[in-house]
Amino acid sequence: MPSVFLYFHVHQPFRLGRFSIFHEHNENLRKQYFDRKLNEGYFKKAAEKCYLPTNKILLNNIRETKGKFKVSFSITGTFLEQCEQFEGGEEVLKSFKHLASTGCVEFLNETYYHSLASLYGNRREFWEQVEQHSEKIKEVFGAKPKVFRNTEVIYNNTIAREAEENEYAGILTEGIEHVLGWRSPNYVYRPKGCERIKVVLRNYKLSDDVGYRFSAKWWSEFPLTADKYVSWLKACNGQTINLFMDYETFGEHHWEGSGIFQFLEHFPKEAIKNGLDFLTASETVERYDAVGEIDIPFNLSWADLERDVSAWLGNQLQWTCFKELEGMEDKVKNTKNSELRELWRLLQTSDHLYYLCTKSWADGDVHKHFSPHKDWGPYENFINYMNAIQDLKEEVEKASKEGLERELVWKPQQETETGLR
Amino acid sequence: MRIAMLGWELPPFVSGGLGVHCYHLTKALAEKGIEIDFYMPRAEGVKAPWMNLVFVDDSALKESTPSEWGPYYRLMKEASKNEEKNGVPYDLNFFEAVNRYNFLCARIVERSNKKRHYDLIHCHDWISTKAGIDSKKRTGRPLVLTMHSTEYDRTANLWPFEWILNIERDGVREADRIIAVSKMMKNQLVVRFGANEGKIRVVYNAAQLDQFRTQAKKEQFGINSPVVLFHGRLSIQKGPEFFLQAAKKVLEKIPDARFIVSGKGDMLPRLVEMSIELGIQDRVTFTGYIPAEKLPLIYAISDVYVLPSVSEPFGITVLEAMASGTPCVISRTAGVGEVLNHCLKVDFWDVNEMANKIIALLRYAALRDTIRKGLSEDLMSFSWEKAADETKGVYEECLRG
Repeated sequence: MPSVFLYFHVHQPFRLGRFSIFHEHNENLRKQYFDRKLNEGYFKKAAEKCYLPTNKILLNNIRETKGKFKVSFSITGTFLEQCEQFEGGEEVLKSFKHLASTGCVEFLNETYYHSLASLYGNRREFWEQVEQHSEKIKEVFGAKPKVFRNTEVIYNNTIAREAEENEYAGILTEGIEHVLGWRSPNYVYRPKGCERIKVVLRNYKLSDDVGYRFSAKWWSEFPLTADKYVSWLKACNGQTINLFMDYETFGEHHWEGSGIFQFLEHFPKEAIKNGLDFLTASETVERYDAVGEIDIPFNLSWADLERDVSAWLGNQLQWTCFKELEGMEDKVKNTKNSELRELWRLLQTSDHLYYLCTKSWADGDVHKHFSPHKDWGPYENFINYMNAIQDLKEEVEKASKEGLERELVWKPQQETETGLR
Repeated sequence: MRIAMLGWELPPFVSGGLGVHCYHLTKALAEKGIEIDFYMPRAEGVKAPWMNLVFVDDSALKESTPSEWGPYYRLMKEASKNEEKNGVPYDLNFFEAVNRYNFLCARIVERSNKKRHYDLIHCHDWISTKAGIDSKKRTGRPLVLTMHSTEYDRTANLWPFEWILNIERDGVREADRIIAVSKMMKNQLVVRFGANEGKIRVVYNAAQLDQFRTQAKKEQFGINSPVVLFHGRLSIQKGPEFFLQAAKKVLEKIPDARFIVSGKGDMLPRLVEMSIELGIQDRVTFTGYIPAEKLPLIYAISDVYVLPSVSEPFGITVLEAMASGTPCVISRTAGVGEVLNHCLKVDFWDVNEMANKIIALLRYAALRDTIRKGLSEDLMSFSWEKAADETKGVYEECLRG
């Protein structure tokens, strides 16, 4: 019987406030771009509806199964910062630390800012953000992550190869037919061009049964009960069933009244009773040998029906913003101004691009649903985002000019100092 | 089905959207097999071969007797005497002229009905509402009223004429079915006129857009700077002063932008003055009235079309601009916006935000191009054929009772 690898994605972006080209200048640029009240509101709502109750259930599950139940998380850097900054965040963070202390929970590595830096031509920024995240996870939860999952499981051969070079044991991505062909996602594979790292693929059907269809009345299997679900898992062939979903599945995508929490309470016990065992990400790649090679020369992700990056880079609006930000790297870094660098990175969070999606306005509904400002569509979000990007660009210009002037002024003094030594 | 439609004007003699609307709607209705007697004041040169034009004036009533006229008889007599003397159709003031038209119209409808047997009567706005109500009473046929705009819209809520509001209230009460040109209009009729929601149907306008699909480019005319357009009556309803205020803000960021104010109206002197007060007189061009055949050109040379209306039950110019491929910034009060995805919406009073959006359109080709790609998709929701189908549906519903 295959084992079960359960993995949840936890993320909150710093959403932009209303930022007109006629904004009043604020010395605190972070306040100027990002709306604390708005973000705190989203955070508190999600904490109340999802993070706190779900963490409590997971902790109970671990205790009641005496550690047989195991889960893995990827928690973004921006989420952790919100825990540190916002009211009620401390409690949320504590509950995650509680989970970590059981030893049954593993934390994965991704970009600190949940960005698309993995798609930049220059690879430096991407790995800097990954490193920043790795350090943050170590600082908060005490252990350096060993398995890599990129933003929205965006994956290609290059990313996998680079992950191997950076000593990761495993990497996660989507298990979709147009990549797998006749092969099953329930096995561990080797990315093309790699020797050690293993790739673990999402079983999207079984994942979406919970993540997407759980409360869908149109679904023939509605309502989904824990024993029905376990019977499906038991019937699977392969090494491992990889269930990846957004953490907000619990309590937000499916609200409390749908019975999602009861499902989460019963599912692990039912599974264990039926002889399924749970593994964390590292345990999964450790236990199983790769059965074959996966060759993905294009960008794969778990988003939308296309499973590509078109949710973030599907139109000209998105490309324009993405390219603007990518093109600023050298200028930003040359200022050696850590505040500007941080703001630049906060603007790279992929959610900002997601709000600009114009894919057929009908299925764009999913995207609209996530727009941080009521009544704002892709055009309004583009204008706002671009205004902030352009403003930051001006700030960077200013800083580099000032930096240049400072250098010119200070140079003779430095020479004197050296001369004295 | 045979109907009496009570209008006011038809192209080429039009002062607003009503004439254009009647022209295209009747044409599309005629294609659906509806026989139309179209009533309007006498006008030479109007051609609409798909229907039967009935010109309403004294001569049309010459067979009637003075006793039918009651107290108006003397007034009409005098009026026609003056008319012969001065050679102008309306020597009385405008409201008298409307009154006189409505008065005559209902009587001619009554007489014609004896031979023509109308299934129903369809009138438009306050300007033919009195005739509509009167005709209904005289013939016993059901009445359909299309509301294009109300007195509140036309006066931007500032000083509505009670006299016209009363006509509108009567019409809303007496009509068997009301066609509203937008959900916004429907809502207004319910909230401000106490209309029975159950008898209101929303039918969106369409526009004859082929002539707007030109290939003209502003560079052909030696214009290289960004162009922002206002086009409409220069009246309080259309909010031209907000356009000028936004222009001032845009120029702070894009100093070489040009602003065109096209149209005529009573606010022109005030607007010219205002552009001087704002110190932007060298960036604003007042074109005055633009003849219909030149209209496509003015849209085509513009990079952004702005509709800053205080109140705009529909807003057909937005569709014209879109057909020309010009991205639009429109007031949230415009009914047409209810069905549009690919335009930017603003509060008409928020000139900073209006300027913010105009600037974004002028600066970012990606935004312009993405919006342009969506325009045709939006325009597909509007056609006269669809409007005629839906109007016919309202007629049929009306006849079923």
